[in-house]
Amino acid sequence: MSETLTSRLAQLLENRRQNAGWDAAYLEILEKLDREGFVSQILAPGSAFPDFVLPSAEGRFVALSEQLARGPVVLGFFRGEWCPFCRLVLGALAEALPEIEAAGGSLLALTPETGGLALKMKRFHGAGFEVLADVDFGVGLEAGVVFKIPRLYRERLVAAGLDFPQRQGNAAWCLPVPAVFVIGTDGVVAWRFANVDFSRRAEPDEIIAVLRRL
Amino acid sequence: MELSQVRYFMTLCRTLNFTRAAEQCNVTQPAFTRAIARLEEELGGALLFRERNLTQLTELGREMRPHLQAMLDAADAASALAAARRRGMVGSLKIGLGPGIAAGVIAPAVREVAQMLPDVAIQFDEAAPAVLVEGMLADRLDCALLPEECEMPERLNRWALYTEAAVVVLPGGHPLAAKNALTAQDILGETILVGERCGGFSARLGEAAGCAFRLQRCEGAVGQMLDLVAAGLGIALLSDRLRFAPPLAVRRFSEPELTRRVVLAAVAGRPLNPAAANFVRLCRTRDFSG
Repeated sequence: MSETLTSRLAQLLENRRQNAGWDAAYLEILEKLDREGFVSQILAPGSAFPDFVLPSAEGRFVALSEQLARGPVVLGFFRGEWCPFCRLVLGALAEALPEIEAAGGSLLALTPETGGLALKMKRFHGAGFEVLADVDFGVGLEAGVVFKIPRLYRERLVAAGLDFPQRQGNAAWCLPVPAVFVIGTDGVVAWRFANVDFSRRAEPDEIIAVLRRL
Repeated sequence: MELSQVRYFMTLCRTLNFTRAAEQCNVTQPAFTRAIARLEEELGGALLFRERNLTQLTELGREMRPHLQAMLDAADAASALAAARRRGMVGSLKIGLGPGIAAGVIAPAVREVAQMLPDVAIQFDEAAPAVLVEGMLADRLDCALLPEECEMPERLNRWALYTEAAVVVLPGGHPLAAKNALTAQDILGETILVGERCGGFSARLGEAAGCAFRLQRCEGAVGQMLDLVAAGLGIALLSDRLRFAPPLAVRRFSEPELTRRVVLAAVAGRPLNPAAANFVRLCRTRDFSG
């Protein structure tokens, strides 16, 4: 691989931070969630990931327990089809999927967006993995990744014409911290990557290494 | 935010009493109070006024309550479906359909639910919007597909599903079938069969075209109206989401364009059974515009 996901994310971040308004909104998220010790609320290794059934992008039900019956599951929360950071990650994961599968794992990408946006996200990446709609943040709430968007960032989303109440079908103005979990076949979280900074994500190689160790 | 914090807050909304809410949640009062304080910190303000004999929701508390309830219901629905399948849920999925709204669009979602919960009975109820709204409020219906413009109380959540357009249904061999699309001008000389289940397209056509059409009232099921079309009594303007079989011919109606938006509605804040809750989630996931 030529360039790591981390370096591509860092470039995108640097680019975004040139804009002072964006930078202030970004720092507000980090500061607020750090102060609250947000990451400590997120489901940690050793805890059972609660079983769930969610609608897939194509309108079928997907049950975690059924996925686990076939092998470990890599479960990632994404912010939405609109998020350029998530796009980079999804692209990298789509590329890494054969290796994830070769290591015995399957991949579930959860998005809080509704109204066909899950399918749009999946098609954009030609993704061979399941994209699930976490409608009203049900599973996100169970995993402890959901937060209310601080004021500055919300104002920027609105100014950019992103109608979250319409996209999510819910006017809570929340987002998930884009955490990734590796869940063992026993349903227990074996490994997790969680950072309140949405530009910091797990490298696919790291995930694959975890799967190989299971 | 944490699931337990949200659960505590919803209990507090119902009881408006810290001591009682903590008891109902099986936690000590200090732990309960701390959890609420953390949720308040995250949401950026007080959710409740605490005065000596009075606990009340603040404006922020009132604003967040329905959203947090929806999240909690979603968390419950996601795990309840898994549990309902294991224990073989018995019950029913009761879906209201506004007049002339086709079940075909949502049929794949109903199939998904029924395959997951094979002992659940499916019931469709096609009726006037007011009747369906009353049915939902009285808990006789789980949810309903309704025309967006119909009157709905605040207590109903609604999500846009799709826009349907009018098509002209003609008897086989009708001269107008030679055209790909029809206009108001084309059908001026025709008799239009109209009934409650025609989606109001004929009335809208009259308004838009500014002239009167020859109408024949005809109440009953859409299938019965189609039988009359096939018999040559007249033509019909119906939703493109319905299914029509030969020898009937169906043509797009292009001028004026007649459309209506269809929404999915359910009572806000009322927990639905796992079949209905997950049917609603499945419908909300999709884009039915295609």
